Amino acid sequence: MFASLRSIASRIAGLFSFRRDEAEFDNELDAHLNMLAEENIRGGMSPAEARRQAHIRLGGSMQLRETNRNLRGLPILETLWQDLRYGLRMLRKSPGFTTVAILTLAVGIGANTAIFSIVDTVLLRPLPFQDPSRLISLHEGIPRMGYPKMGFSHPDFAVFAREQKSFDTLGSFQSEHVAITGRGEPERISVSRVSASLFPMLGVQPVLGRSFTAEEDAPGHQLAILSYGIWQRHYGGDSGILGQSIQLDRKPYVVVGVMPRDFQFPPAGLDDVGSPADIWIPMATTALELQDWGGSYFTSVVGRLRPGVTLEQARSETKLASERIIDSYPAAIAGFARKGELSVTLSPFQDEVVGSVRPLLLVLMGAVALVLLIACANLATLLLSRAATRQREIAVRTALGASRFRLIQQMLTESILLALGGGTLGFFLAFWARNLMLRLVPSSIPLPDHVPLNSGVLAFAIGISILAAVLFGTIPAFQASAATMQSSLQESGRGSTVSRRRLSLQGFFVTAEFALALVLLMGAGLLIRSFAKLLETNLGFRPENVLTVNIPLPSTVYSHASQVENFYKDVLQRVSSLPGVQSASISNDLPLHGYEMVSISPEGSADFQEQKPQAVCQSWILGNYFQTMDIPLLEGRWFNPDDELNSQQVALVSLSTAKKFWPGQDAIGKRVRWGVNGPWDTIVGVVGDVNERSLDEPVMPHVYRPFSQVAGPFLEQDPFGDWHAMNLALRTKSDPAAMTSAVVAQAHSLDPDLPVTNIRTMTQVISSSVAGPRFNTILLGSFAGVALFLAAIGIYGVLAYAVAQQTHEIGIRMALGAQPDHVLRLVLYRGTRLALVGVGIGAVAAVILTRWLSSLLYAVSATDPATFVSVAIVLVLVALAACYIPARRAMRVDPMVALRYE
Amino acid sequence: MPDGKSDVLQGTLDLMVLKTLEAMGSLHGYGIARRIEQISEDALRLNQGTIYASLVRLLQRGWISAEWGASENNRKARFYSLTRAGRKQLAVEAENWVRISGVIGRVMQLAHRG
Repeated sequence: MFASLRSIASRIAGLFSFRRDEAEFDNELDAHLNMLAEENIRGGMSPAEARRQAHIRLGGSMQLRETNRNLRGLPILETLWQDLRYGLRMLRKSPGFTTVAILTLAVGIGANTAIFSIVDTVLLRPLPFQDPSRLISLHEGIPRMGYPKMGFSHPDFAVFAREQKSFDTLGSFQSEHVAITGRGEPERISVSRVSASLFPMLGVQPVLGRSFTAEEDAPGHQLAILSYGIWQRHYGGDSGILGQSIQLDRKPYVVVGVMPRDFQFPPAGLDDVGSPADIWIPMATTALELQDWGGSYFTSVVGRLRPGVTLEQARSETKLASERIIDSYPAAIAGFARKGELSVTLSPFQDEVVGSVRPLLLVLMGAVALVLLIACANLATLLLSRAATRQREIAVRTALGASRFRLIQQMLTESILLALGGGTLGFFLAFWARNLMLRLVPSSIPLPDHVPLNSGVLAFAIGISILAAVLFGTIPAFQASAATMQSSLQESGRGSTVSRRRLSLQGFFVTAEFALALVLLMGAGLLIRSFAKLLETNLGFRPENVLTVNIPLPSTVYSHASQVENFYKDVLQRVSSLPGVQSASISNDLPLHGYEMVSISPEGSADFQEQKPQAVCQSWILGNYFQTMDIPLLEGRWFNPDDELNSQQVALVSLSTAKKFWPGQDAIGKRVRWGVNGPWDTIVGVVGDVNERSLDEPVMPHVYRPFSQVAGPFLEQDPFGDWHAMNLALRTKSDPAAMTSAVVAQAHSLDPDLPVTNIRTMTQVISSSVAGPRFNTILLGSFAGVALFLAAIGIYGVLAYAVAQQTHEIGIRMALGAQPDHVLRLVLYRGTRLALVGVGIGAVAAVILTRWLSSLLYAVSATDPATFVSVAIVLVLVALAACYIPARRAMRVDPMVALRYE
Repeated sequence: MPDGKSDVLQGTLDLMVLKTLEAMGSLHGYGIARRIEQISEDALRLNQGTIYASLVRLLQRGWISAEWGASENNRKARFYSLTRAGRKQLAVEAENWVRISGVIGRVMQLAHRG
């Protein structure tokens, strides 16, 4: 025991003294040799012979030194050090190879690291709340009436909170936009009403001040908690902000707290609840809201599961609570809720938040993994070619006593050096690529603004570098070291078995590259086709030369519907008379803008018989909305100025609405009832369909009403509808963006404190509507481009190598009368065969893999044959082009030169 | 690092080196190799270099020590000699060796008879 400890200590000491030990050992061997030689001379040998015999008696001095080294130090570390130095020297000696290899790897590793850093932040990291896995998102739904998933209405939430038993705490929130005035320009910001329970449930404390107390979560408490962002931006990080009053929609709120810098709520990515809030105010549900049965289902709810309760248990328990909600409805509408199958659904909050980006991120992660695999395959073919040129070196080292294991170790060390070089460069590349990506990412894809490149990401980069080294280095290392000493010393580049095996291995890697590239190209091809289809979508309106702005009116000042109507009528009139304006309108929504759903009962339809109101989008129109958007009238008449509050209530419906409710009948003259017992509207016209929210979503049923007939007592009951935040749209003769300042000036001439927001041309609206798909397409397209490029280089390299290897053979063939074009065909055939096999295998893989893409596709099937065929053709053409250069070189082989080429 | 004892051949050479040094006092590598060859009446012709692996092992265990000195012919050479620990170890190893070789001898005889 003691002896072995001692020997370890002495080995470690040996690591540091190894140069001196080596010299000493050399001296010792030298002395030994001299003594042996002297002995031999005494025995009568000539000095030269004596010396030779002495060497034989002592044994190979290289082996002795090696054994000595192994015994004295820690051999693994020493050989590693040796291999590293040797590897670096070899890599320096072939700068071309090294550069290509490192760049290839840098692209592969960089792309993987960049995407991983985003995946890590978005998908792998739990939400930044206390015990986030216990947080559950709750939704109401009335599936049979066209509302599969909504928020809660206030009375329903109150009942549910009382009846449920599965949750410790329930937190509710509801976002809206308000104007913040006082300091600086009026700004439109996002405000979230939150229940007092919400922040404690999330386990988040304000950095300054406090959260709301339960007592403050009641009408009459005008309090506010600021986000860190708006505290810095609007109030310069003033720590005296607590207790100060701020103006939201011209109402005073007292600041009681500031949240931490990285606190975002609602988290970006949560569907339909708006962007993270700038300011939070108490939910303070009003008595009026609590009476709003069957009305606004706009409150989002998150709950924390009671300890020990599983999601499944909570789901079944929630069914009972849903029943209690229906029971609480007034008799008049309880039947509808029951028939519509009102229910509460639960899903993990984390899924809800990241669910929308998960498919995209997984697809991207898969794509970059394929790119890296292709890069590895490429490097493996390069290393195989290189092994051929190093064969003599390897043979010499074998002759000098290097074991096969030692050779493989050496070659793998070189691979790891390459991979780490590529990884280092790739890490910097990832830094840049990630920033570029996050800058280009459209707001419709909820990715965080800031993604750290932390130690986890660094570890990932190092990990995949080493993995890559093993992937691309192992087979070439085994192959190169397998060459027996004799055959490689004798081989002079002619078609020996070793180089044939090498060629078939290279063929294998090239085939793999093409198969992988096909999968990637297929993915990109599908996205491109889907994107093209998206752009071809019939919009139903003409977006050119249309400017839209949003002019929200604070309900505190514009508290009567008549004030609101008068303001919008005035501003419409002023803007319409501006020079260059062809037509203008005011409406609560716009094409591709989002929608508000309401329930109607269409008279005479099947749903009407069953007393099941149906969900539709509703628009309120003032002015020439359809002319401004250029939506065609298919039947009936437009609204006209006579459609007044006291005249017959009228409506226009879209074509698909007419078809849905009254198939095969004339919709004109039919009536729809708002809700189940609201006023009746008579349909006077049918207009074309328009996409309400985004191009890749189906068109919804849509009913248009004149604003003059809706404004009135009905609107005033709905304090949170968008009737006080209408959109102004105008069609102009020339560049619509140029009208912006004139339009803002007109609004400010009526009320200088109004924020005019969302200033966009309809062309911009469309472009931001397709920004998400465009981003996906560009990203996957560029990965596929890299893959294609690498595959092309790969096949080119292999064929060029094969041609060089076979110059001799080709020379003989030509000497025997082969025509140059025959040789050309021979080489092209070999290359194309590799590519075709790759394409075939890739096609099978693509059929299996592209279905992961389906959630990103629009109007294209994941196995779209046209895309398959065109991608395959592109790949084969690229392969042909890449093969052409070496093929031409082969064709031009001069038989005389080739035969002399030894 | 496992102790070399299990490796019979290595151990045998180590034991012979120790025994030689016990008999001869201080000696250089060449001298040890020659001595072993002579004692074995040249039955054991070593690749003399292998002696150095043994010497390194014994040095590392602290059973022998080494210092540079002048040889008979006034050449610089490295002289090895037994340490106290080495002397003790030699006694243990020699006893082991006798016992093991006795056992092996009997086993071989048995095998022969069977």
